[in-house]
Amino acid sequence: MGDIVALEDVRLTLGGFEALRGVSVGFAEGKSTVIMGPSGCGKSTLLKVAAGLIPPDSGRVCFRGRDIFQMSERALLGMRRQNGFVFQDGALWENKSLFENLALPLQVHFPEVPAADRSRRVIRALERVGLEESASERPAALSGGEKKIAALLRALVTEPILLFMDEPTLSVDFAMTGRINQIIRDQKGRGSTIIAVTHDAQLTASLADRLVVMEAGEVLASGDFDEVKRSPHARVRAILSEVLKDIASYDTDLLELLDQDQEPGER
Amino acid sequence: MVAALGRWANDKARDYAYALGFCFQVLKETALFMRRKQVAFHVLVLQILFTGVEAVSIVSLIALSFGAVIIVEGGTVLPRFGQTSLLYSILIVVITRELGPILTAFIIAARSGPAIAAELGNMVVSHEIEAYMSVGINPISYLVVPRVLGVTISVMALTIYFNFFGLVGSFLVAQLIHPIPFVEYFSALLRKLQMRDILSTLLKSFIFGVIISVVATYQGFKVSASVTEIPRAAIKAVGQGFVLCFLADALITLIYYV
Repeated sequence: MGDIVALEDVRLTLGGFEALRGVSVGFAEGKSTVIMGPSGCGKSTLLKVAAGLIPPDSGRVCFRGRDIFQMSERALLGMRRQNGFVFQDGALWENKSLFENLALPLQVHFPEVPAADRSRRVIRALERVGLEESASERPAALSGGEKKIAALLRALVTEPILLFMDEPTLSVDFAMTGRINQIIRDQKGRGSTIIAVTHDAQLTASLADRLVVMEAGEVLASGDFDEVKRSPHARVRAILSEVLKDIASYDTDLLELLDQDQEPGER
Repeated sequence: MVAALGRWANDKARDYAYALGFCFQVLKETALFMRRKQVAFHVLVLQILFTGVEAVSIVSLIALSFGAVIIVEGGTVLPRFGQTSLLYSILIVVITRELGPILTAFIIAARSGPAIAAELGNMVVSHEIEAYMSVGINPISYLVVPRVLGVTISVMALTIYFNFFGLVGSFLVAQLIHPIPFVEYFSALLRKLQMRDILSTLLKSFIFGVIISVVATYQGFKVSASVTEIPRAAIKAVGQGFVLCFLADALITLIYYV
């Protein structure tokens, strides 16, 4: 299959800082891609540009070959219906209840579906993670982990074929991380394309088909997970090692593989 | 020095371009509002409740007070010059043409302007705006247009309400000074009231409503990344709202009555 999303020579400056410097990268349909890199290297910005949330200063961002920022309103809405986005901080709508947070995307994309059916779908989603009792609560009443999982449910409630995730397990306890990982694995099992920014080695190991490594607004390497992991590029290996070092205790096999491949003195 | 001046001019030009683009988007989305299958209708209803209904008590109090003040001052000064009959004209001019629209606008600008700017600014910082975009909701259509319509409808309704209560207030106080029959008082007022006074008050309240809401939503959306920008946005929403309402008031009065 071809690329579902492709960036061509994308440049973006935010607040005087060059966040993306001529990024060209494709995300294969049906595959899961993990974007890694040191903090502040432009991973989250790349994800938002790829999802069409931030327009680039120059370059093209294409969804199935069509420039997102040249799309008609109707085509853009159609694209959004097929996408879900999980924000790093959840970004739940604070003035709405948990139920309303999940119901609104359905109301926007499926206005023809009876309200009762939409409600059932939302309740089913909440029951899946045991949050049905909190349906009427505002996000402020939820724990950090519950907010994260609710944000993931909101992104998945419209059953998207493409899921963008920005650190879906950041600052989440071990048990909640397991539940989130399970939902993501289920989504991958359904054949969805997933593009994730994460520092979670466990999630990366179980999810990634492809890997993109970034530094200072540039893509250093992208390709099949195993290929990139074994890249001879010293900076790529150093970044992967550095990024994954802090959470080595969670990792099962990734660091071992990295260690096997690396020559002494390269780290 | 020249470089700094150039940067300042460049920043200002960018700000004005952004403001113009924002106004254009608001205008376009407002025109499309009724045509869309809207999920934003309940936002409009909530805005009218917050801006209009919840402000009724404060508007009533201020309108009654001002009506009372005008009748007391007028009733004291005008007889000295043998111009008691001018009292009704003064009530119409002061309350209906001027105080009704401008004071209602001030109440709403001070009450709802900063609330709207702060709410939207918070949404920007917490990425809620991006979250709306990610699910296919146009933030201008969903967040700005209902607020612009809600505030404008509320300002217009509250201005009519202010005018009515101001005139009732002056009648109630008049009963204490020298009682006038209800029918005589209101029929004298209605004789002085012209259609152009009613149109003027409606036009002013419409324009003030648009100014207050567009300024507040613009300031909210101008917040970029930090929560420390939110109080500044709220203050600017009030300050710019006041100044622009004053300027618009002077301009409309000049065009309308000169």
